[in-house]
Amino acid sequence: MDRTASLRRRRWSLIATLLVFVLVGTCSSAGLGASASTGSKLSGSIVFLERWPEPQYAPFWKKIVADYLALHPNVRIDHQAIADQPYKDKIRVLTAAGQLPDIYFSWAGDFANKFVRAGLAADLTPYMRNTPWGNSLAPAAVDAWTHGGKIYGVPISVDAKVFLYNTKIFANNGLQVPKTIDALITTCDTLRSKGIEPIAFGNKDGWAAIHYMTSLNPKYVPRATLDKDFEPSTGEFTDPGYVAALNEFSMINKHCLTQGANGIDYTVAQAELMQGKAAMYYGQTVEFKTFTRAGGAPASFANNWDFFPMPPVPNGRGDQNLLTGAPDGFMINAKSKHIDIAVDLLKFITDRQNAEAFTKTLGRLSSVAGTATSANAFPQLIKALRVINSASGMNIWLDTILHIDIANAYLNGLEAMLNGTKTPDQIMQDVRAAAAKVRANP
Amino acid sequence: MSVIAKRVRALSGWLYVLPALILVAVFVYYPVVENFRLSTFQWNAFSTHPRYVGLGNYAGLMADPVFWRAIFNNIAYAIVSVIWQVGFGLVLAAILEETVRARLRAFLRTVYFIPVTISITVTGLLFQFLYHPQFGLVNRVLVILGHPQWTHSWLGEEATAIWAIIGMSQWQSVGYVMVLLTVAMQKIPREFYEAAYIDGTTKVQAFFLITVPLLREMTTLMMILTISGAFLVFNEVKVMTDGGPNNASQVLGTWLYRSAFQNDQMGYASAIATVIFILTFGAGVAQLWGVRGKQVEF
Repeated sequence: MDRTASLRRRRWSLIATLLVFVLVGTCSSAGLGASASTGSKLSGSIVFLERWPEPQYAPFWKKIVADYLALHPNVRIDHQAIADQPYKDKIRVLTAAGQLPDIYFSWAGDFANKFVRAGLAADLTPYMRNTPWGNSLAPAAVDAWTHGGKIYGVPISVDAKVFLYNTKIFANNGLQVPKTIDALITTCDTLRSKGIEPIAFGNKDGWAAIHYMTSLNPKYVPRATLDKDFEPSTGEFTDPGYVAALNEFSMINKHCLTQGANGIDYTVAQAELMQGKAAMYYGQTVEFKTFTRAGGAPASFANNWDFFPMPPVPNGRGDQNLLTGAPDGFMINAKSKHIDIAVDLLKFITDRQNAEAFTKTLGRLSSVAGTATSANAFPQLIKALRVINSASGMNIWLDTILHIDIANAYLNGLEAMLNGTKTPDQIMQDVRAAAAKVRANP
Repeated sequence: MSVIAKRVRALSGWLYVLPALILVAVFVYYPVVENFRLSTFQWNAFSTHPRYVGLGNYAGLMADPVFWRAIFNNIAYAIVSVIWQVGFGLVLAAILEETVRARLRAFLRTVYFIPVTISITVTGLLFQFLYHPQFGLVNRVLVILGHPQWTHSWLGEEATAIWAIIGMSQWQSVGYVMVLLTVAMQKIPREFYEAAYIDGTTKVQAFFLITVPLLREMTTLMMILTISGAFLVFNEVKVMTDGGPNNASQVLGTWLYRSAFQNDQMGYASAIATVIFILTFGAGVAQLWGVRGKQVEF
């Protein structure tokens, strides 16, 4: 009798406890909704993938997501981050598994166009063309994310390739910033004769040489021809300007660049510049922070450097005013069930306050105009944003704008040319052969 | 024991083995078969419809000069690894066991083993500095020794890149094989050596007549591991040269990775994976078959 009673009591107390939990649970979630009085009607769950998991950048992204969630209590964000190197494989694995996130990071150019062709990139033109949001972003940056007249991505940061130079070395040797390519070569000869490495160069990863060609090709080849050749279905690469550009790079290599560079990592080239062993280095504005005291550079260098873009080629048939660089950005999965939330989050990330914090924390230029000030950026970075905003257009890295097979022909060909085992004519032959294959199999 | 009890006993044996069998079947054998099926298609992460090409990817492999270069590099890797790691590792272990005092022996063993424990990223960085064309130790020593004509951009030239990587790998791995062979060597009864020395055998002769035959099982295992390791190598090449320059140092592993995740040709990569499987499986089977029944006992 006692046992049954105690069992019954236990059963009821268990049910009572469960009921309490259920009530508390519903009350608390309802309470959460009621207490946040922002009136936000957005609700749903999205996956947000960015590529800054490093400990110095992760807190910035966590804070942005937290701030957004505070404003939109009915939204859930699954925030993920993958580093730069493994990103290319991880995103392909996710795509193949049908698990592409709602918002995912992308590089502009053919990398982004692959997603567009596969129907995995949402058309953002209605949100960004001739809208206040779209107009707040650098025009060249939005242009890089446009394909077939439609905008498919939101640029988050801008980047440009320029020659960093040691102002002390230049001053000590009576050198001025070269105004033409020939003047650059003469400057290199002077430096070499003084026992200083003219331009530090490390091509182990292959893209360092490609970036030179990204800048040189447009100086020798007319813009319209370039645009036609970049399209996989119409690329031919028959313009003689391509060979002329390669010949120019060969000259630069002979007079200016570190020899044996295929075996040298770009970080070693950076170190050579910082240690005063080399006078110049062709680098990206996203690398600028490395060369500051905050980034770890020695004081002897951190206060003594400036930059200039690739000088023009006097008789070049192309546009001499283009700047090499590309904006990083985010794309939205066309198959996402909450494109509205995704767009809203990206708008939040690119609003003025967060863009300035982006520049301050990551040391990178935001795509939002006018966000690099002395409050959040060092002098060289402020100058860089001015230079980028005044560029008539940007040359996107050759290895990301071209179809991968043609890019490989360039990558491998340039490595061979630096070793002296291929000539510019042979490289263009390989490029044309790759382009023909790509035209046949789009 | 009754018939039923015997049956239950036999079945319970299967029960113990079943979990592991299932795991191996699901995570090893199924992927191998599925990989072969995937290699008969042309597809990538972005393709909406995989295209069936039968053995087209394999035909492409046969015609691909980079594939043959990769196989050559893997074979070079295997040959050098066996000669250096197993061959020299054996000699090193014997020298340490026979000719060196106990204290020094323990110290040297640690010294030789430490490279094995260093992560490949660190080793890669270290050797990139060593091989640097201007500031690297290797070239500087060559110049000091009076042979500047032998200096190279070790990782940057197509002819030397893979050999530079193989050299680094030997430095890192010889200690591992040496330690394992030392363990096996210590199991050989000292009486054999003492009897041999009394009969007037020299240390070198004792090495070839006693040590080598009795270690046959262990050296065979080491050879299988080294050769399959050579065909599966990925990290060393990826970190040092990423298969460059101009694909001169590609190995099957890195060429597979590049085809899958950079060139967007996953069917092609699956075909390479199948080739790797056939090669390593074949090498293992061949060696086991070669030494069957040849175990030596005194």
